[in-house]
Amino acid sequence: MSATAGPRRNLFNLQPLDATTPSPLFQRRRVAVGEETGHEANILHLEEDLSATMSLGNAVCQRCNDGFKMDEQIVNSSGLWHTYCFVCAQCFQPFPEGRFFEFEGRKYCEHDFCVLFAPSCGKCGEFISGRVIKAMNASWHPECFRCFCCAKILADEGFVKNQGRALCKDCNAMEKAKGLGKYFCFKCHSIIDGGHLKWKGEAYHPYHFNCHSCGIELKEDAREKDGELYCLRCHDKMGIPICGACRRPIEERVVHALGKTWHVEHFVCAKCEKPFLGTRHYEKKGLAYCEIHYHQLFGNICFVCNNIINGDVFSAFNKAWCVNHFACSICDKKMSQKTKFFEFDQKPVCKNCYDKFPGELKKRLKKAYDEAVKAGKI
Amino acid sequence: MASKLKKLVDDSKEGSGTELDLVDKGIVNILEIPGFASLKNLTKLVLAHNKISSVPPNIANFLNLEIIVLFNNIIEELPTTLSSLPKLKILNVGMNRLNSLPRGFGACPMLEVLDVTYNNLSENSLPANFFCLDTLRALYMGDNDFEHLPPEIGRLKNLQVLVLRENDLVELPKDMGELTRLRELHIQGNRLTVLPPEMGNLDLVGTKQVFKADGNPWVTPIADQFQVGISHVFDYIRSDTYKFLYGRHIAARADPPPKSVDKSKKISRIKK
Repeated sequence: MSATAGPRRNLFNLQPLDATTPSPLFQRRRVAVGEETGHEANILHLEEDLSATMSLGNAVCQRCNDGFKMDEQIVNSSGLWHTYCFVCAQCFQPFPEGRFFEFEGRKYCEHDFCVLFAPSCGKCGEFISGRVIKAMNASWHPECFRCFCCAKILADEGFVKNQGRALCKDCNAMEKAKGLGKYFCFKCHSIIDGGHLKWKGEAYHPYHFNCHSCGIELKEDAREKDGELYCLRCHDKMGIPICGACRRPIEERVVHALGKTWHVEHFVCAKCEKPFLGTRHYEKKGLAYCEIHYHQLFGNICFVCNNIINGDVFSAFNKAWCVNHFACSICDKKMSQKTKFFEFDQKPVCKNCYDKFPGELKKRLKKAYDEAVKAGKI
Repeated sequence: MASKLKKLVDDSKEGSGTELDLVDKGIVNILEIPGFASLKNLTKLVLAHNKISSVPPNIANFLNLEIIVLFNNIIEELPTTLSSLPKLKILNVGMNRLNSLPRGFGACPMLEVLDVTYNNLSENSLPANFFCLDTLRALYMGDNDFEHLPPEIGRLKNLQVLVLRENDLVELPKDMGELTRLRELHIQGNRLTVLPPEMGNLDLVGTKQVFKADGNPWVTPIADQFQVGISHVFDYIRSDTYKFLYGRHIAARADPPPKSVDKSKKISRIKK
């Protein structure tokens, strides 16, 4: 058994397909490159050598199996070759500068070898000679294989596969935290399980901090005031106003209105819910409205000029007028609170104009009025 | 007479020169008002209760006019140039003898209030583009001769006030339901028997709204609802029962009620 085991192992010198060690292909190629100067020397040396030892009459060419003529130049490279037989197995041209690459018993010029067998880099697409990094189902130049996030060279430090990307260990931890919807502590660089504390724009484990007032280790409900962190208890004791809308403390600008305090962005029009942001608001029955909606809802838009009425309002027939525009709807004579006027299609008409109406119209208007009175509508 | 008018025009010029009120001055022809043509900055022109029979086309030269009141004159026709006034917001030509509105009138770019009360207008006398007046917020058409309101009324999306008092309307189009901003509707004194169920979209019930519908020969179920109140009328026309009855009523194509009002005594009818 032991006698046969040896040769068999030599015969089947195969590597598993997913092996990360360089395959015999690259070992062989590396040997070829390493000995490149030796090849040229070898050829020259053999030419001299063979011209002296013509006694090998039965020697044949490795390629064509023919013998050699007496004064013919012979190449010796793992066997003897006619010079015209010692060519690239692919392009049948002599090897440039005598350099060749051997694979599965055939010899190739560098160009054809690369085209046929050399891996190309997954990043830059160039052929790789020398060290090959096999990773992520592709080959890479060592300097081309970098972290997807921070571009650190990964060849020696190792990497982690994350959603089809190669990441360094730090970046992977960060990405993982993000993917879980969790924060990455800015202090200890690990994922924050549970609540985080925002402090100067970065997330932290709350336990890295203590209350500025009582010194207790903070929880996620800690609050900031004047650049210091406080536990909720201490914070609430400092007399901070509470917003009338969201019931949470107001840490920035405070709006005082309607007898309450508000976050600037929570003090809004009761109709359109847009914040006033310092613009004038109008109060009605404990609610605040923006100018447009106050007038729209409470009808203070002048029927003539269609503008919002600032100042005194004349109201009649479900309409409103500004001081300048409250006039007879026919002769445009200005009217005051004391002026008597008639209703005509829900518009005010002064006595002068009403008297000028034709008798038949006045008769109809009176009849309609009388009927309305009778029906109890007026 | 003329000297008196001239003084009034001069007074106006001495003031801001933008408003001219000549009410009940016996004016027959606008062009005879002395110095009128020089009032180029006029924004308001009030000529109610005069004897004016026509409006000169060059009224369009007064480019700043925003308000024109010609109530109670004897105008039979308005100039087509009227619609080119770029700032005209309020036009009151009530109580005249208009049988039509001028061609292209719907092109008025800014018109907000149009009062054509007490004329001789009907659906046949409106220009084709009339319902392009989508800036209108109030349309007064009481005391005219409409029998059918064109369905294009639904295009006047900004309408808040619509007066159709004492016309000859026999039905209202379902497009009325698109006038969602309407808060005042007068349809009293017509020949209406039913309301389109689509009018249930309108919000005319409440203290801020006006809905006048007396003096129509309503079908019994609607008349009964009017007895108990306007809110009941609107609740009723929104009901499926009513939608069914309305569909049947329309399919039956009953003859409309006859005209009951004698309009021959209207002063808009009197011929020169």
